[in-house]
Amino acid sequence: MDIVTQVLSGVFALGPIAAMIGASILGVFIGALPGLNPVMAIALLLPLTYSMEPLVALGMVAGIYNGSMYGGAIPAILLRIPGTPAAIATTFDGYPMAQRGEAARALKIACWSSALGGTASAIALMTIGPILARATLAFGPAEYFWIAMFGMASIGVLVGTDAAKGLMAATLGLLLGTVGLDQLSGTARFTFDQVWLLSGLDLIVILVGLYALPPVIALAEAADLKGLSAAQLKLEPAKVPWSEVRSLVPTWIRSSLIGIGVGILPGAGGNIAAFLSYNAAKSASDDPDSFGKGNPVGVAAAECGNNSDNAASMIPALTLGIPGNVIAALVLGALLIHGLQPGPQLFHQNPGLVGGFMVQMLLTSLLILAVGGAAATKIFAQVQRLPGVMLVPTILVLMAVGVYVINGRVIDLWIMFVAGLAGYVFEKTNIPLAPIVLGLILGPMAEQNVRRALLISRGDVTELVTRPISAVIALATLGLILFPIVAAISRRRRSA
Amino acid sequence: MERRQDIVLGAIFAALGLFAAVKATAYSGASGTYPMVLGLVLAAFGVIVAAKAGLRGRATPRPLTEHTGRVAVTVIVGAGYLALVPILGFYTASALVVLALPVALGFWQPVYLAVTAAVFVAIVWTVFSIVLEKPLPTEFWQTF
Repeated sequence: MDIVTQVLSGVFALGPIAAMIGASILGVFIGALPGLNPVMAIALLLPLTYSMEPLVALGMVAGIYNGSMYGGAIPAILLRIPGTPAAIATTFDGYPMAQRGEAARALKIACWSSALGGTASAIALMTIGPILARATLAFGPAEYFWIAMFGMASIGVLVGTDAAKGLMAATLGLLLGTVGLDQLSGTARFTFDQVWLLSGLDLIVILVGLYALPPVIALAEAADLKGLSAAQLKLEPAKVPWSEVRSLVPTWIRSSLIGIGVGILPGAGGNIAAFLSYNAAKSASDDPDSFGKGNPVGVAAAECGNNSDNAASMIPALTLGIPGNVIAALVLGALLIHGLQPGPQLFHQNPGLVGGFMVQMLLTSLLILAVGGAAATKIFAQVQRLPGVMLVPTILVLMAVGVYVINGRVIDLWIMFVAGLAGYVFEKTNIPLAPIVLGLILGPMAEQNVRRALLISRGDVTELVTRPISAVIALATLGLILFPIVAAISRRRRSA
Repeated sequence: MERRQDIVLGAIFAALGLFAAVKATAYSGASGTYPMVLGLVLAAFGVIVAAKAGLRGRATPRPLTEHTGRVAVTVIVGAGYLALVPILGFYTASALVVLALPVALGFWQPVYLAVTAAVFVAIVWTVFSIVLEKPLPTEFWQTF
């Protein structure tokens, strides 16, 4: 059976199709509810995927990811409350349009822009991913070690506002990844004579705690007791003329390219893609003053930009094992759950699965057109009538059940809770969470490869930096770490 | 950057890193070297964060919570829920937390709460116990 047939027969089976449709609908709901976000939803979903077929699990991840990125536009346009951080730029022109009575038109443009951005991004993943994977076949243990270090450094430096805190978080993640039995020597490390720690800290347990508990506490702090009234969510029907669609094409192309570029960069997320796309559209416009006052091009740029980041962020994740953003890190977690090691070998050992996931990213982008249509958007808007305070215990219960079913251990509930409280404090003190997760994922890979490289070179450390590719990646890593220091020094010189 | 918080935070991370480095010296060969280096690097970053805050941090306090009372209620009720799961059983404890936590946060609509709790627990039971057949902590009445 050739690869195309293998991919298509895998994706178009009943289970993966049902998973994609159901998850896309769920994703729009999640995006539409301020306080919930795709990271939290996927973190909660992952424990349930243990017993599923990989393409069913990955189809759900793809559906929630693409669906929620569009869903975030609904409250952004109707209420000026971004459903997800990536929808902040959508509020700039979406809300003024809604105030003019053009909410339905803005939502329609957002829906089409999201679908087109996601589709362009999925095509980029399908074309660039395999090429990059082939190029990385020349990598040995030293290169893999530096790739892991580069990923850690880029996420540590680029995510958050303080590079020192980002790198500190990355190191904490790497250290947490050493807990348990050493896979090479069998030595028990940081287990404190506890049998349950021998297998290490469960990635999903930590993920659920870190990413689900802080938003739950934030919802409790907001204590929304009423939800919104039906009158606040009323939508008048609207048509978008063909001439307007044609006028948006250049914006869609520009924003797609920006989003794809941002997605490939480790550490940058959908919110950055949306802002850059919005600014580029404003700069290119003949009437930049109309932006921020209800210009539909602004909505199209922001929504197309944030969705075109989605699949592109999977390019470094699937080929190198370095996630472009937190959701890509969660996808790596989903792959690990199913015993699949991300990296170039993944493409060669499981082409049907990787190809299937790429097709799922494409299909779920197109599904936005179906599940995000005018009638559906009206229904999704109604979820905002739920009092936010009711979500607090229900998410808590879903977290508990999701974590408990992984290993059937009550101790995991407490680990999740402690991780969540730590995550809450970290967020408040500007310590980014993504480097911790990446450290947990890449830590074992980094350790195994550095030790393997040193075994091969009989302890010669210079072997790590004398091979051409490893030297280049090592220099790039060093450059990334030094970049904020050099930037700070030059800033100080300029101001002096 | 808030001075006092970041100094404390940096000190905690530095202490954690040093503890890990010292602990790792007990592990043989490369099993210990890698975590020891990581521990020292973590300690170094902790010192950098604390030092930066000490030199350039703002003295104005940065609130750690938006509403301390509600955070405390959520954490206490959440911890109580996790403690009750193995004692009362998963579904009983879950129904209780769905009823109690909104009330503790000021939401008082008994009928709405009761219906939501019943529907939500029924959905969770259907998905996890019927469809996925996942074993969950036994309900307390089943042990009699």
